[in-house]
Amino acid sequence: MGKSADLLPGTLDMLILKAVSLGPLHGYGVLLRIGQISKNLLDIEQGSLYPALYRLEHQGLIESEWGTSDNNRRAKFYRLTAEGVRRLRAETRQWGVFASAVANVLSATPEEV
Amino acid sequence: MPHRMRSYLGALFRRSRLESDMDREMRLHLELYYDDLVRSGISPDEARRRAGAQFGSLERMKEECRESRGLAWSDEFVRNVRYAVRTLRRSPAFTLAAILTLALCIGANTAIFSVIDAVLLRPLPFPEPDRLAQIVTLYHSKSAEGVDDSQDGRTWEMLRDHATFLDTAASGGGWSGANLATGGRARYVDEQRVTAGYFAVLGVRPVIGREFTREEDRPGGPPVAMIGHSLWTNLFAADPSIVGRSILVKGEPHTVVGVMPAGFRMLGPADVWTPLRPTTTGEGSGTNYGVIARLRPGTTWVQAASQVEALGQRLLEGKRIPPETRVRYTAIPMQTGLSNELRTTLLIIQGAVALVLVIGCVNIAGLMLARAGSRTREIATRAALGGGRSVVIRQLLTESLVIAIAGGLASIGLGYAGIRALSLVAEDSLGVWQNIRLDWRVLVATMVVSVMTSIVFGLLPAVRASRVDIRTALSEGGARGVAGSSSRWPRRLLVAGEVALAFVLLVSAALLIRTFIALRDLSPGFDGTGVMTAAISLDDARYNTSANMMRLFTNSLERIRATPGVESAAVALSIPYERWLNMGARRLDGPAPGRIPITTLNYVTPGFFDTLRIPVRSGRPIDDRDTSESRKVAMVNEAFLRRYLKDQDPLSSHIGLGGSDQPIAIIGVTGNVQQRPGWGGGIPLSTPPAVYVPASQMESETLKVVHVWFSPHWIVRGTGGRESLTAAMQRAVEATDPLLPFSKFKTLDAVRDRTLIRQRFQAILLGTLAGLALLLAAVGLYGMIANTVVERTREIGIRMALGATAAQVIRAVVAPGILIAVVGLGTGAVLAAFSIRALRSLIYGVESSDAWSWGAAAICLLVVAAAGSLLPSFRITRANPAATLRYD
Repeated sequence: MGKSADLLPGTLDMLILKAVSLGPLHGYGVLLRIGQISKNLLDIEQGSLYPALYRLEHQGLIESEWGTSDNNRRAKFYRLTAEGVRRLRAETRQWGVFASAVANVLSATPEEV
Repeated sequence: MPHRMRSYLGALFRRSRLESDMDREMRLHLELYYDDLVRSGISPDEARRRAGAQFGSLERMKEECRESRGLAWSDEFVRNVRYAVRTLRRSPAFTLAAILTLALCIGANTAIFSVIDAVLLRPLPFPEPDRLAQIVTLYHSKSAEGVDDSQDGRTWEMLRDHATFLDTAASGGGWSGANLATGGRARYVDEQRVTAGYFAVLGVRPVIGREFTREEDRPGGPPVAMIGHSLWTNLFAADPSIVGRSILVKGEPHTVVGVMPAGFRMLGPADVWTPLRPTTTGEGSGTNYGVIARLRPGTTWVQAASQVEALGQRLLEGKRIPPETRVRYTAIPMQTGLSNELRTTLLIIQGAVALVLVIGCVNIAGLMLARAGSRTREIATRAALGGGRSVVIRQLLTESLVIAIAGGLASIGLGYAGIRALSLVAEDSLGVWQNIRLDWRVLVATMVVSVMTSIVFGLLPAVRASRVDIRTALSEGGARGVAGSSSRWPRRLLVAGEVALAFVLLVSAALLIRTFIALRDLSPGFDGTGVMTAAISLDDARYNTSANMMRLFTNSLERIRATPGVESAAVALSIPYERWLNMGARRLDGPAPGRIPITTLNYVTPGFFDTLRIPVRSGRPIDDRDTSESRKVAMVNEAFLRRYLKDQDPLSSHIGLGGSDQPIAIIGVTGNVQQRPGWGGGIPLSTPPAVYVPASQMESETLKVVHVWFSPHWIVRGTGGRESLTAAMQRAVEATDPLLPFSKFKTLDAVRDRTLIRQRFQAILLGTLAGLALLLAAVGLYGMIANTVVERTREIGIRMALGATAAQVIRAVVAPGILIAVVGLGTGAVLAAFSIRALRSLIYGVESSDAWSWGAAAICLLVVAAAGSLLPSFRITRANPAATLRYD
């Protein structure tokens, strides 16, 4: 899967929060949603998904509930908590600052230094 | 964060739920992924492979999930505990030794400290106990200092009338019985005499009624009484109308004015209180009152104490004070005053039990060191297999904790048992009247000390071992025939220290045991076999004249003597082994007439010296010729003769007793008998000077005062055995006066044991503690040698294969044990020489350098040390050289 980008450390949590902010999802759904909205550019290692979900739930940023999936199977759905909404907002802002800073650095030319 | 806590606890306690959720969730994931793959045209087999690969190890992922819930730590802990329990069960000797050591040390310390807490630390069971005081006289001279808590009538009146910073009250010294008659039956009850306001000073109100008024507390006041709660419920069915009714106390009707609350107690037990009616004459002319006080609101201790001292100065004017002696009165906290006598004993016992704790901790440390030493290989193996150093340390820590917790739990049981045992004997043997309760603070404190010891010493070697080069450690057993010796030194020092401390305790215990034996085996000066005694209180309105008393004595003794099996009988105010009346006297003739500082006094009926077989050295005993009409006579004992009449012929001498100059002729000299002295600093038995006078020649006024403090004893010798003598006495007195109850019947041996009960208690307790210390030291030695044997099994095998005999090998292994014991003994001897000083006030009749005590302690220690060292080495003789060579 050479075409997909590697994740920066710490960004997985942010992506999961964003994914479930768009609507309750089960674990596999989170994976699909991230793939879908990143146009399959970001690929999540499946093995690290669940530990991340459990960690976020433990921190109280997401909460879970058993429900029924599209194809009528019992599945655990995750949704964002109020705390999670706040965190996502903060992370998004920080990410913006970070991304533009990195972009500035990378676009710098010798004259500007 | 509460949410995380909830999540963690939820995960911890609903563990199975978490596991099944996790399982279902991940299975669904795999199924969905597999479906997607198949849908995109991949073969089912390939899809299954990819799904599996993509998902990685399911178990590792679950573990990560659990970890993110904070469960990893508790999982590891549970695993460690299981492993620790398994490991410990594989070495039961070590485990048992460690747990037992912990339990005994913590339990013993807790029990003893609980007594200290009850006596010295816990506030007295009265409101605002820190404002309660006791008025005492302090004596300072070059050779001695002392605290006297008894006061005379003048002092009491001065304090009552002029101590404006204090509310004062007084009680009569000593506890004598009193006769209480209800429904035609008489009983001997405990009585305490107190002034008006006594209970107000303590801050305790009667449950019904009131306490005595100043009017009732005057000489000649109306006969009134207060009764205790248990007497009220047992005898009067808790009837509140008892107040105002009349009960027959001390031979005359007393109006009950109040009932004290259940459990109320100040010092000794009391069923009945009567007004003290203090005076400055009679009883009040001597120091026979105890004075207590409560600081008035707003008053400080400094103010109160200096006021008492200033008032005391006035009292001391014109009093004869020995040269170079400073006397002053002061107010001290009541708790300090009440526990004064016990403090030394308790602190010595606490010191002893603390030593046991130190020995125990040293033992634990030694055991842990040994264990870690023999586990170096195991630890190295685990490290080699990938267990990180911290994992190994956590594992060892868990083991220490498991031992500590087991020991701690066992110690609570032992502590309770110890407290129960001590509670049973504390009042009789120590005079502890406060309730003894388990002291949790100490339990926790000692537990922390011992647990820390086990953890620190469990860890030190672990840290050392985990630093060990894995290859060296693993190959150690194979490459080196002789076990390393450098690492054995810390342990040897610990064991030597244990032995030293155990020796200190052994010598102390031996000295106290010798003290007890010396006192018990003192020549009594009389023959008490086949003699029964019992007291009757004559602090009774019907017997307040000499004539009435003599009629009672004569009639009852006649009846007793007429009983078959009775050889002889007599009445005496006091019996051997008990405290006698103190009396000043005068020499009226001889080369140096004048004051005799102090003697003891006893009145006796004819037949007394025969009944107790006290030898008459010269002259004649008191007999029927000595009546109230005849010439006043007395006998003195040899101690009196030696001290006060050595320059004159006793049988032509006259003395005066008390303040009187009326001549009393000395008619005979008797041998000394052991008494509990009323002066002379704490020695429990001695033979002070004594004067015997005929009971018939006692003045009625003197008798009245004396019978308040002392109940005369009927003494009967016979062949019929205890039961029949007791029955004869009871029948005889009942026939004379049915409302006159006897106190407890006792043999003179029992009286002696009662007098020596504290010495006995101290000897038993310290003996037990020393035995415990010895046992712990032996376990330490045993463990050390056993460990050496295990470590050196290979070396021993080689030696034996090369022709060494078992005896030679045993010698080589045991020698260090004996050497350590000897070194420890030497160190202990030096320590003991210093610490024995603390015991000096408890040792009588033996020197603190007593060869018997030191020798016995040393022999005891060496025998046990030799046994502790030899036992494990016998394993060598059973060893098969071929097998030991293979042993690693």
